[in-house]
Amino acid sequence: MKIQSPTPQTLVVTGLQELVAGNASQMRDAIRAELKPAHTVLDLDLSTVTFLDSSGLGTLISLHKTMRTQNGTVRLIKPTPNVHQILELTRLHRVFEIVNS
Amino acid sequence: MATRPQNTAPQPAYLQAVELTAACDYAAVREAALFAKNWLVSHRLPETDAAGWELAIAEAGNNAVEYVTAEGRALPVRFHLAIGENEVEVQVTDHTPGFELKGDIELPDDESEGGRGLFLIKSLTDELAYLRGRGENRFVLRKRRASTAAIPSLDILELQRRLAETEIALSEMGEELSSSYEGLVAMFRYSAELGKNADLGDFARRLLADVLQLTETDLAVLRVFQGTNLETFLVLPSKDEAALPVLTDLDVSRSVELEAVKTREDIWFGGRQPLAGTDPLHGLAGAHGGFVHAFGAGDQLLGTITLIRRQSHAAFRSAQVNILHTLADFLAIQIVNARLLDERTQSRVTRRELEIAANIQRSLLPVSVPSLPPFSVAASCTNAREVGGDFYDVLRVGEDGLLIFIADVMGKGVPAAFFAAVLRSAVHSMPALYSEPAALLTSVNRTLCDDLSRVDMFVTAQAVFLDVANRRVTAASAGHCPLLLWQPGQPAAQLMDEANVPIGIDIEAEYKEASAPLPPGAAALIYTDGLTEACNPMGEMYGLERLNQSLIAGAAEKKTADTIREAVLADLNAFRAAAPLTDDQTFVVISHNL
Repeated sequence: MKIQSPTPQTLVVTGLQELVAGNASQMRDAIRAELKPAHTVLDLDLSTVTFLDSSGLGTLISLHKTMRTQNGTVRLIKPTPNVHQILELTRLHRVFEIVNS
Repeated sequence: MATRPQNTAPQPAYLQAVELTAACDYAAVREAALFAKNWLVSHRLPETDAAGWELAIAEAGNNAVEYVTAEGRALPVRFHLAIGENEVEVQVTDHTPGFELKGDIELPDDESEGGRGLFLIKSLTDELAYLRGRGENRFVLRKRRASTAAIPSLDILELQRRLAETEIALSEMGEELSSSYEGLVAMFRYSAELGKNADLGDFARRLLADVLQLTETDLAVLRVFQGTNLETFLVLPSKDEAALPVLTDLDVSRSVELEAVKTREDIWFGGRQPLAGTDPLHGLAGAHGGFVHAFGAGDQLLGTITLIRRQSHAAFRSAQVNILHTLADFLAIQIVNARLLDERTQSRVTRRELEIAANIQRSLLPVSVPSLPPFSVAASCTNAREVGGDFYDVLRVGEDGLLIFIADVMGKGVPAAFFAAVLRSAVHSMPALYSEPAALLTSVNRTLCDDLSRVDMFVTAQAVFLDVANRRVTAASAGHCPLLLWQPGQPAAQLMDEANVPIGIDIEAEYKEASAPLPPGAAALIYTDGLTEACNPMGEMYGLERLNQSLIAGAAEKKTADTIREAVLADLNAFRAAAPLTDDQTFVVISHNL
C-alpha cells in the first residue's frame, strides 16, 4: 500500500490488494495518520483490490465519515467488478463517488 | 436405531466434499475462504459463483473469529464444503455464544460501519440455518447451482483456464475412474451370465467377493426372502457366519436390515449411529460402520445386502455404492431366474407323477366288461384331468351273476389313484361277499376305514349284484349317487337310494341293500356325480332329471347297454359343449335285452 499526496488537497492510496477483517483497521489507521486537515479529497485506488468483505466496507464508511468532518469526500477509483458488485449489493455505491476512468 | 449420518454417507445430491480447518484468526479464515473458492472452481463451479461463496465463507468465518468465546479461541473453525449437481452446501462450525438467525435480515443505515456481514451471506445464498449446540454452533449455507447447460461465449484465455481446470479434475477423478472401470468389467461379466442356469449359490458367492473388493469392504451379508422370512443366504468371509443370528424376529426397530426392507432405502450405520446391541448384525459388525441395501426385481423385494468396513473408517464413495446397487440388480435377476427354473422343474416332476398315477388308474379298470345274456353291460370312464378318483369294476359271480362296483375316491392325483388301487384289491379279496352288496361294503369299510381316516380321505361307492337267474338287481350304497332303474312303461326311472356314510368315515357302519326286478326291456344306470354335476358354458348343471330322460330315451328304443351308453355320452357332451370337464364322469349301464 502506498499513500501519497500529489496536491495539498488530495491524498491518494494505491497498491491495495485486499480489504478484509484481517487488515482493514490497520489500513484505516495508516491512512488517518497521513491525513492532513487540508485534504478534501481521499482517492482510494481500488483497481487492484481483488477481495473486499464487510469489514473492508466498514473501513470505507469510517474513512468517509472522517473526510466529511473536514468537508472532504472519499472517491473510489476504478473498482474491480467484484468490488463494484459488493458495493451495489450493500447500496453503498450511492454513498461514495465512484470514478471509473 | 441407525439412520443416515449427515457427514459420512455419500448423498446423491453431493458428489464431492471436503473438510477444512482454520485456526481461530482472520488470516487463517481468509486463507480457508480462498481455498474454498479454488476448490469450487476446480469442481466446475463458475468463477463468479465461486467468488460469491468466497465472500460468504469469509463472512461466516469472520463471525466465528470475532465472537469466539475464551475457551473456543484454541479450537479451529471448521468448514465443510460439498458440491453436487444441483447445489453447493457449506457448513461453518464456530465456538461462539451463537446468535439467533432471523428470517428478514435488513441492511444497516449507510453510516453504520458494521452489520453487513449477515446481509451479504443472506444475499449470496438461497438457504440458511444456524444450528446452536453445546460449545459449538453450525452455520449451514446452501445455494442452488445455475444450470450448466448454457455455455457463454469464451475467449481463448478462458478456454485455456478451463482446460487446466479439467486436467486437475481429471487427475482427481483418476482413482475414481479406475475403480469404475473395474466395476464395469464386473458388470459386463455378470450380465453375460444372466439367464444361464448357473448355480445361484456359486453366482452369489463370486458376485459378493467382487463387491467386497470393488467397494474396499471386508464383510458382506446377503439375506434372501424365503416366503416372508428374511433368511441368511451367504456371509463373506464365510467363517463369520457362525456369529450371525438368524433373523426370525420381524421387529423393525432393532434390525437395520428390516428397516431397509421396510423403507426400501439404503440404511447407514456406524460412527454416531452405531448398530443397536440387539440388532442381529451387531455380533458381526460391532461398532463398525456400513450400510444395508434392500434389492429386488420390479416391485418384488428379494433380500438385503449389508456391507461392513471393519478395517477402515473411510466413508463409502458414491461410485462404490453405485457398484453395489448395480451388482445387486444382477443378483436379483439371477434369483428370479433360479426360482422360475425351480418352478419349471417342479411342474415337470408333478407331470411325471401324474402320468404314473394315470397309468395305475388305467390298469385298475377292467380291460373288457363281461356280459351275461339276456343282460348286457357297458361302462364309460372319462377323466377330467390326468388322474381322477373314479373307479369301477365288473366281476363274474359264479355262473349267473355279476358284481358291478363303482367308486369315487375323494381328491385327485396320485393319492386318489393309490386308494382306488387299494379299494380294488380289498374288493377282489372278498369274492364270497360278491352276491351280498351290503355285507361287501361293510367289510370293505372295516378293512380300509383306519387307513383312509388317517389321511383324512373317504370313498363313496356302490355295489350292485345282478342276479341273472332271478332277473333282479340288489344294490348297496356308501354315500354314493342313487342307482337309476327304468322299467318299460314307466314315466320315470326308479331311484334305489339306500345311502349310508362313505367308506372311511365310520368303522362301525352297517350298510343296507335294496333289491328290485329287472324285467325285459328294463335298464339300470350306476354313475358318479360327475354326470349330474357336469356344467354347460352358462354354468347350469346337467342334473338328475336330464340323466333320467337320457336313460329312458336310450332304453325305450330297445337297445343294448352299448348303445344306451353312447346315447348318454352324446347327450352329456352336447350339454357340456365347450365347457371344460371339471370332474370325472364314470357310469355303468345294465340292460335287459329284449
